[in-house]
Amino acid sequence: MLRLIRTTGPIVTILAALSIAQAAEVKIGTLYPITGGGAIYGSPAMIGHRMAIDELNSQGGILGMQVVSVERDTKLNPATAAAAAKEMITKDGVNVIIGGLSSAVGLAISEVAKQEKVIYIATIPKTIQMTTNRRHDYVFRTASHTDFEGDAIAQIAKQLGAQKICDIQLDYAYGHDLADGIERGLKRHLPDAKKVLDLRPKLRATDYNVFITQIMGAGCDVVTSGLWGPHFVDFAKQASPFGLFQQIKYITGGEIGSQEIAGAMGEDYPDNVWANSYELWYHHSTQEHKNFQEALAKRLDTIETPMWPVLALIGVRMYGAAAEKAGSLDAASISDALKGMSIDTPVGPRTIDPETHQADTGQFWGPMVKKEGVPYRVMDPITYIPAKIIE
Amino acid sequence: MESLLEFIRIDMGSPGLATLVSNPKFAFIQLLNSVSMGMNFFIIAAGLSLIFGVLKVINFAHGAFYMFGAYIAYSVTETMGLSFFWGVIGSAVGLVLLSVVIERSLFRFVYDKEHLMQLLLTFALVLILGDVAKIIWGTDQYSVSYPASLSGATNLGIAYYPSYRLLLCILGPVIFLALWLFIERTRWGRITKAATQNREMLAALGINVPIIYTGVFVAGSALAGIGGALASPFNSPTPGMDAIIIVECFVIVIIGGLGSLWGTFVGALIYGFVFNFGSVIVPNGQDIFAFLILLVVLLIRPWGLFGRPETEGQ
Repeated sequence: MLRLIRTTGPIVTILAALSIAQAAEVKIGTLYPITGGGAIYGSPAMIGHRMAIDELNSQGGILGMQVVSVERDTKLNPATAAAAAKEMITKDGVNVIIGGLSSAVGLAISEVAKQEKVIYIATIPKTIQMTTNRRHDYVFRTASHTDFEGDAIAQIAKQLGAQKICDIQLDYAYGHDLADGIERGLKRHLPDAKKVLDLRPKLRATDYNVFITQIMGAGCDVVTSGLWGPHFVDFAKQASPFGLFQQIKYITGGEIGSQEIAGAMGEDYPDNVWANSYELWYHHSTQEHKNFQEALAKRLDTIETPMWPVLALIGVRMYGAAAEKAGSLDAASISDALKGMSIDTPVGPRTIDPETHQADTGQFWGPMVKKEGVPYRVMDPITYIPAKIIE
Repeated sequence: MESLLEFIRIDMGSPGLATLVSNPKFAFIQLLNSVSMGMNFFIIAAGLSLIFGVLKVINFAHGAFYMFGAYIAYSVTETMGLSFFWGVIGSAVGLVLLSVVIERSLFRFVYDKEHLMQLLLTFALVLILGDVAKIIWGTDQYSVSYPASLSGATNLGIAYYPSYRLLLCILGPVIFLALWLFIERTRWGRITKAATQNREMLAALGINVPIIYTGVFVAGSALAGIGGALASPFNSPTPGMDAIIIVECFVIVIIGGLGSLWGTFVGALIYGFVFNFGSVIVPNGQDIFAFLILLVVLLIRPWGLFGRPETEGQ
């Protein structure tokens, strides 16, 4: 008996110590694409995410526990993201999942969060479904959504006096939902406008000539769109020689006003584009933004910082604040705490609607113009369109 | 540029089959769209088909070579400030160097291995080259400017059309002709052709078969690099661009016949036509027609329109 105690005693002690050590940390499951096409946004988002983790730990962590980030690559693939989310919950024992990029990926992660009863904070996916018909107790969003974005596009279309509108969206959840959001927005703000063309190139399309020539033939005066990232770059580069941007105004969501796009395209960025961005490195709307931007610039060793880090940072901050408010890591308690939760962010305060689980995340909008001495387009004038839909 | 829009604008509302039939100007533009798209794909897919024809290796890493071509063109033009012409040359040279190393250090060991082993090797290369590209160029997206003289549109009488895309319409057939003349009209071309039939017999005749293999692999890879460089002004160099192009290339070479130059040329044109005209007829079903054709070809003539059925002993 004594021998048994001697043998098992140290093992039990080690296991107990390990269990205490495990309990003494908060595990954040992080899902962004860091390889393949999505890495363009996933990699900078990951930087913001890590900044937020460092920030929390420097302030004593969450509920006095150190915060660790368990990171997985979604490869921009919903199935990969869902499998990774499941594994992080069941094997790694993460307390929360934060991230996601692309609406399809966001919806896939959300389903896993629902099944496993683990909080998921969507920092980038915009599909309206996540906070309407596919909302559940454990999903919350700090990004904007397709109805806010569509309404903003309709407001700008009204300002520009649009009469005939061509709409071009990517053929997946975000594109379809944004098209619907624009349609609803047009009914509110510009009911007399006529939509003359709906086009849906596939996600990751490479050749847009057939769509460009259809737009130019359709006789529209405004194009509304949500082609994001490389989709917009390729579309614009292919449409410019046709003269599309000389004659037709282009209003676009998908954060085409961000530094990532403006900086990458430089002189190739076309005229007559009205675009949006969550954050602009040159627009210090708050002192906190100035501090954040300088810290990010130092971290990246560049003056012109990307937009995506702030989104990831807000998601982590929101979770940290909710856990502190709940006083526990229990998902149900944190879910309650997140409802109505308000935090300060570098781009202004953010509050989560207790009914929809959606943060009041507006965006900066404006025409992308040339500025003397600047080698890329900048947004000017910048208008913040709040996350508010008035019926 | 105002007149360009007037040329193209045909006030047709939502297009469709009726518009294609009733409006020759619109149909003509879609014809040019089809040819320029097809020729862009032909230049890339020709290398894939050539490598399979001689080496009998299905090279999944071909898309990665295309991606490297686009990135090198970016570095040469935007970072080093040289002209686009040098960007294309730089991509070709870069891919020659890269493919020599890969062929000599990896591929030559799997020529006699089963297809599964070859596929695994090329798939591993896809992952490795993807990470190497990320290390060199990061995860940003880039924009390569059109050459200044080709950044606008050319008046073709019936309609204006982007000058750069017209260049592709010309370059594709030129590259096709050059490859065809090399294979059919030169001694080395005939030797290469013989290598597709019986490599053992060729070796028995004293021909240095490994050199032929290296040459073919390098030429095929250089074509991918040139294709990537030529596409870079309208397809921004980004991580993951290899995964998209390789699917389209495989559709083309399977329709045309793996290993057949004519097949690749015709397959690329078929792909361009069914994509563009199909997108007008069924706007949100762009891939339906190309994959339907692929399906029919696989069922009726699995070796492709211009390919040859594999016989025993080959």
